[in-house]
Amino acid sequence: MRSDDRSPLAEGSEDPADPVIERLVARLREPVSLSPGVERVVLERLRAEAASGAGQSEAAVPLVFRPRSRRWPALVSAVAAGLAAAFAGGVLFGRWSTRPPGDAAGVRPVEFALRTPADSAVALVGDFNDWNPGATPLRRASDGVWMVTVPLRPGRYRYTFIVDGTSWRRDPAAPRALEDDFGAPTSVITIAQR
Amino acid sequence: MTASPSLLQVSPSDAELVRRVRQGDLDAYGPLMTRYRLRFGRYAYHLLGNESDAEEALQDAFTLAYRSLDKCRHPERFAAWLFRILVNRCRTAGARRGREQARRAPLEAADGVGVSHPAEEAMRQEELTRSLGRLVPEQREAFLLKYVEELSYEEMAELTGAGESALKMRVKRACERLRHLLSESDAI
Repeated sequence: MRSDDRSPLAEGSEDPADPVIERLVARLREPVSLSPGVERVVLERLRAEAASGAGQSEAAVPLVFRPRSRRWPALVSAVAAGLAAAFAGGVLFGRWSTRPPGDAAGVRPVEFALRTPADSAVALVGDFNDWNPGATPLRRASDGVWMVTVPLRPGRYRYTFIVDGTSWRRDPAAPRALEDDFGAPTSVITIAQR
Repeated sequence: MTASPSLLQVSPSDAELVRRVRQGDLDAYGPLMTRYRLRFGRYAYHLLGNESDAEEALQDAFTLAYRSLDKCRHPERFAAWLFRILVNRCRTAGARRGREQARRAPLEAADGVGVSHPAEEAMRQEELTRSLGRLVPEQREAFLLKYVEELSYEEMAELTGAGESALKMRVKRACERLRHLLSESDAI
């Protein structure tokens, strides 16, 4: 953020100064004082997490492959199971992982997938991309399955999908995050240390 | 009158507060949040259009930042790092709410709900909020970052991941749209 005394519209020749916009900007720059309760709520939330050890229990989720025959077409499940068998090595997939071991820093490619009749787009947001809906789009595979591979270090991550830019969708095959506190359904994935 | 040394000492730097929090002093996070509630709350409020959503986005951003504090590689630039998280949270909040609902203001106006404040000033403020709410989210974001938060296009590109030319176009179109909307009202 910069603070100088230039006209807000002086920069950028594509938009010459306009008195209406100038006055609007001046009004929008006036302070907006949100409730101090914001800090209180956050501190209470964080203290409660610390007291309950939230985040620890989910890390104990067994790192095993779980076939998804009820959710995925048989062919997809078979392929996933085959890959898991081939690369079984302690990685929990966020909805399937199964790539060969990662680099020296422990980074692993983790494949996320969601089956949905989305029309236009599915995005993955989580702790690994600052919850940026533009950072990790999924690609449409086949039969309504959307996929993306994300390199992740060992650790625990919360994530969810955004379907067609409007709908949050928790991963049905992953544990629900205990601290699901954003008013949105959130899943958790744990990448084991090898 | 000059400030006494003791007064100066009660305003530790962001980096110092971040260091304390990382060492387990959760109470040190309170002053950090207070600093940026005031500073960043304005952006969240104008982007999302109401206090409730803005406070929720801010709470989420603060919580995420705390949990990810070990990823803040330059504690002296904590503000920029936190703002990036907030911008993303606001985007996500907008996506969750849905575009039509995000334009709540004009819908409220149509129902007669949004003009409940008798004061003329409050009505003007609501008119501004409605105008901003009628921009598509990408244009509203670009307009606020450029002219209210006073970022350069380079900074905006780094923050949003969009190209500078695309951002300039969004700002240009936002200005055109706002000019049109506000020329039909006396809010400005």
